[in-house]
Amino acid sequence: MLEITDLRVAYGGVEALHGISLKVEEGELVTILGANGAGKTTTLMAVSGLVRPRTGEIRFNGERLDSLPSHEVVARGVTQAPEGRRVFGPMTVEENLRLGAFTRKGPVPPRLLRRVFELFPRLEERRGQMAGTLSGGEQQMLAIGRALMAEPKLLLLDEPSLGLAPLLVRSIFETVKNINRSGVTVVLVEQNARAALKLAGRGYVLDVGRLVLEDLSVNLLNNPQVKDAYLGG
Amino acid sequence: MDFFIQQFCNGLTTGGIYALIALGYTMVYGVMKLINFAHGELFTLGAFLGYLLLVTLGLAGAVGPALGLALSIVTVSGLVAAAGHLLERVAYRPLRNSDRLAAVVSALGASIFLQNAIMIVWGSQYRAYSARLLPAVSLDVLGQPIPLIRILVFAAAAALMLLLWLFINRTRTGLAIRAAAIDQGAARLMGIDVSRVIAVVFVIGPALGGLAGLMAGLLYGQINFNMGQLYGLKAFTAAIIGGIGNIQGAMIGGLLLGLLESLGAAYVSVAWKDAITFVVLIMILVVRPTGLLPERVAEKL
Ligand SMILES: Nc1ncnc2c1ncn2[C@@H]1O[C@H](COP(=O)(O)OP(=O)(O)O)[C@@H](O)[C@H]1O
Ligand SMILES: [Mg+2]
Repeated sequence: MLEITDLRVAYGGVEALHGISLKVEEGELVTILGANGAGKTTTLMAVSGLVRPRTGEIRFNGERLDSLPSHEVVARGVTQAPEGRRVFGPMTVEENLRLGAFTRKGPVPPRLLRRVFELFPRLEERRGQMAGTLSGGEQQMLAIGRALMAEPKLLLLDEPSLGLAPLLVRSIFETVKNINRSGVTVVLVEQNARAALKLAGRGYVLDVGRLVLEDLSVNLLNNPQVKDAYLGG
Repeated sequence: MDFFIQQFCNGLTTGGIYALIALGYTMVYGVMKLINFAHGELFTLGAFLGYLLLVTLGLAGAVGPALGLALSIVTVSGLVAAAGHLLERVAYRPLRNSDRLAAVVSALGASIFLQNAIMIVWGSQYRAYSARLLPAVSLDVLGQPIPLIRILVFAAAAALMLLLWLFINRTRTGLAIRAAAIDQGAARLMGIDVSRVIAVVFVIGPALGGLAGLMAGLLYGQINFNMGQLYGLKAFTAAIIGGIGNIQGAMIGGLLLGLLESLGAAYVSVAWKDAITFVVLIMILVVRPTGLLPERVAEKL
């Protein structure tokens, strides 16, 4: 479904991704792990069309994404809940969700809102509240719910656990699992390696702009190198 | 009291004009984080196009004042919107990915170019809108005779602001504009075509600014190729008062500044009329650069 080949991205003159290749099949939940600055966010932003690759290809169901403007990428069914959530603070929860369905023509079908509210009942309670006044966990729910409003085929999640209490992380990861089970392919970027590997079928490990490992999650969990560097020994 | 009512009405009318211009600054700043220095010249262009239609071509005399005014409003807003669109394509879009300074220099260059172009076409002397374009009647407001033109200008400004408010808050494109102003990257992740949003903003802002130019011509009777500098600076101050980037803030800021100026000139000193604006601008930039609206109100708007 998603195929990245030899992707290089530079900011100014400085290269952040030195040619990475990865593949995600339809229905998979794949995680990309790596320390701060490894290039995880850059990878997702390149897929979403917010940064332009220097070289390399990004294909989605065979079609090149890397030359499409970002709104065309969303229209193809690829959405993202970005790092730091980036909800529209001075807008209500419901307006944020409606923005998630922006690429749809015509009015937003109520079933889309209903589906998000079923996944995150807290959002329904807060639907008229300004997004900026939500707690961190609620904002994360909103960011994910908003990304679901376009009915994506591929959902990109950038560090959804960032800054959240462990209990909340578990609940959000549980929801991500359910979203994946409902048929949405998921790429989950995480620094929380243990939790992410328990959730995902496969994982890639990025290190300063290069892919250093790729394997099934069970193997990565037992890989001494991974244990050392990302699972705290 | 009578004197106060007169000055208050003057202030509201002038303030309405400032507000219309300020909306152009604030909308562009909202989505691009750029001060469109050429915006004052679009206002001037509107004033001169109105002059061309109403005075040079004698439109009001030919088809009657009401239809003549209506045709001028449509033509001026359409042509100035087209000029704004062209400005964005030529002066700003090619620099979208360059650093901020390049865009600022380009904005200043566009301002100088437009001002000189207007001077070449219409000359550097003052031009007069004829006083007989509209019937010279006054209406009674709280026992005070207020000239019809003042009332019309204020009503038109208020109607335009209401239309804009509805557009921004009730339409899909308005939602996209608000989202792009809050977080352009996040807006793009929602599938919003930010280039289109910028193009829309560069049509609406100039249309409103151009109409403000027409109104200023009708109201004060005299126009000049560099009138956009002073009005531009005042409208910019109005945008700052309301918090730059904040649409409702620009409306409130414009009306406040108009009132302040008019009442200040009446009760303090006429000589201070223009200075008031700059004192306000400097004080706000120093003390409260986010604008005068309370934080919580600003968040909601
Ligand atoms: N907007 C940017 N401008 C310049 N450098 C950037 C920018 N975003 C990221 N980088 C650099 O690119 C590298 C990868 O960053 P990023 O993709 O954010 O990593 P991660 O998400 O894995 O923490 C880092 O060295 C970072 O400093
Ligand atoms: Mg990151």
